[in-house]
Amino acid sequence: MEMVFIAAALIIGLGALGAGIGFGLLGGKLLESTARQPEMANQLQTKTFIMAGLLDAVPMIGVGIAMYLIFVVAG
Amino acid sequence: MAKSGHRLNRVPLLRWLVIETTAIVVMALLWATQGVLAGYSALVGGLIFLVPNTWFAYQVYKVEGARNMSRMVGNLFRAESIKIALTAVFFAAVFNLMEPIHVPALLFTFAVMVVMGAALRWFMRPKPQR
Repeated sequence: MEMVFIAAALIIGLGALGAGIGFGLLGGKLLESTARQPEMANQLQTKTFIMAGLLDAVPMIGVGIAMYLIFVVAG
Repeated sequence: MAKSGHRLNRVPLLRWLVIETTAIVVMALLWATQGVLAGYSALVGGLIFLVPNTWFAYQVYKVEGARNMSRMVGNLFRAESIKIALTAVFFAAVFNLMEPIHVPALLFTFAVMVVMGAALRWFMRPKPQR
């Protein structure tokens, strides 16, 4: 039973780590690009929003599966 | 008539929302052929995706423009964290409070909506005119 909790923790933890690194890079690049070309700000914001949607797809599914493991499989 | 650059680059948030809602209803109806419980679970799975994502889009587009970009990035990080937390809380609430539940319908609809949402944003992104 403990293995299920460890699996859920790994899914959520590694998903959050990947999303955190990705969002950090995304936000940093957005600020850098806007500082270089402020007239492109709206376009860059749109691109960031689209990339954020692509970036968090896997961690979101991971959260769903981890909750299933915790509350249905282990519970 | 010439439009401003701001308008041209505006994301179709409302159109995305309408398409995603329609997709959830269609998937719920398809699952409903397996039984009412499956259809209901699919609808709940779609809503678990839709509600945090709508809130995320609202938070990210609350501020716009180069002057407010650092505030927008702060909002982006905060909104992403809260979106993941909201999704986890909704799943926990559904698994604890909804009894019985058709788990394959719930998780499948959620996963399909996550992938479809990302693909929709990519394929229906505003094309800047030069």
